[in-house]
Amino acid sequence: MTEKIKLYDDSKCTACRGCQLACKQWNGLKASQQRNRGTYQNPPALAHNTFMIIHYQERVDDKGNFQWLFRKEACMHCTDAACVTVCPSGALHYNKDTGTVGLDHDKCIGCKECVAACPFEIPRYDAKTEKVYKCDMCESRITNNLEPACVKACPTGALKWGPKDNILKTAAKRVEELGGAANIYGDKYVKGTHFMYVLKEKAAVYDGIHTNPGVPWSVTLWKSWLKPLSLLGAGGVVAGSFVHYMLHGPKAPPPEGTNSDNAAGKSEGGE
Amino acid sequence: MRKGLVQVTDGKERLGHWMLAISCLCLCVTGLGMMFQSFNFLGTMVGGLANLKMIHNYVGLIFIISLLAMIRMWWREAGVFVFPEDMDWIKAAGGYLWHVDKVPETGKYNPGQKAFFLVVAIFGALMVVTGLIMWFPSVLPVGLVRWMYPLHALGFVVIFAFFFVHLYLGTIGNPGSVQAMTTGWMEKPVLKMLHPKWFKEMEEKGEFIEYGAEPRAKETGHH
Repeated sequence: MTEKIKLYDDSKCTACRGCQLACKQWNGLKASQQRNRGTYQNPPALAHNTFMIIHYQERVDDKGNFQWLFRKEACMHCTDAACVTVCPSGALHYNKDTGTVGLDHDKCIGCKECVAACPFEIPRYDAKTEKVYKCDMCESRITNNLEPACVKACPTGALKWGPKDNILKTAAKRVEELGGAANIYGDKYVKGTHFMYVLKEKAAVYDGIHTNPGVPWSVTLWKSWLKPLSLLGAGGVVAGSFVHYMLHGPKAPPPEGTNSDNAAGKSEGGE
Repeated sequence: MRKGLVQVTDGKERLGHWMLAISCLCLCVTGLGMMFQSFNFLGTMVGGLANLKMIHNYVGLIFIISLLAMIRMWWREAGVFVFPEDMDWIKAAGGYLWHVDKVPETGKYNPGQKAFFLVVAIFGALMVVTGLIMWFPSVLPVGLVRWMYPLHALGFVVIFAFFFVHLYLGTIGNPGSVQAMTTGWMEKPVLKMLHPKWFKEMEEKGEFIEYGAEPRAKETGHH
């Protein structure tokens, strides 16, 4: 297994949205008609038929300078992926070669558990097909040694795809080159994501970004504690009942003819 | 059946109990099929996990109806602790855990049974609320929906464990008691041992409905 990472460098992104189109094309996703909302950003948000979007953000910094901030939003492909942890059917899975998070729609039952679990709020449910959709890092391409469609389409080198070690080095080098507030986003969360950013500004500056994402406590409590406890608890009760039956025994009424008020030593009760 | 049996439950109670019990068991099994991937084969048996989810959701509706009917039917008798007699029983653990010369007498339902009723009522309601939100998650923000899953699992932990307690104490743990939920007729000595106070009350008031003498037994009771 060679863990692979997709890197997005917003300082090199011109927001041409070639990646958005390539994503739609490779995954056979229809575009939906949208209204003009006074922004270049289109579609407005991720959807069951939109696995990635480029965010357009007009920002005025502390010195009053105008600045464009772009950000590619898509599944971050966590190493410790809450969606994989909660998926009841195994539809969501780790790609054995790359460590990215794939989604097998034949197995998806549309329970939406991943939608609530994802710390990046990525998976989208489609009521029509009753299934959930998200970027699977073009699993059909990467398993055939091709780069993801978005990376293939990127004309500026803002998107890169490669082995983890190489990409982390490239990212560190780029952060150094950019200087200032530049930073890597993704390596510190959920045991490292397989989609990372090099951001030219502090993460908190970007609209809609998750500044401290992590596997929700609710998921840990549910899957690591309560799930095993359900079988342990029931098993314990069954074992306890057996021991009780052997040592204490069932409650039987006194033999006929005896004074039951005195002989009812073992009492009363019974559910 | 033979003479000497006493009626302890009516048809409505037994129907309610079994509707709740069967729907609850069905929910446990189908839920397990989704909770553990190693139980996914339960879904395969009904043509896919998606069908298992559908069965789980719609049986849930039967569970809701049965739960409401059960609470309405039994809360007065089984949902309210009566002190101090119930406390005395609890202190003696009903004679279930160690030897007790004379188990304190309680009303129709002992505190153990009341506790079981309350657990089913409270955690059943929790399962209903969390389950409905999981079915229709768009009604709440995602940060709240997240907590429905562990709460649903907590309800399962409690109900599943209590189910086996109930099963044991209602069958081999108390021989002769299971008839209360099958035929509805119990042997007098068993009834007298398990529910002495209720037995005496019925005896005094002449409320016994005895098998083979129903109409007369009833009438004479009112004389």
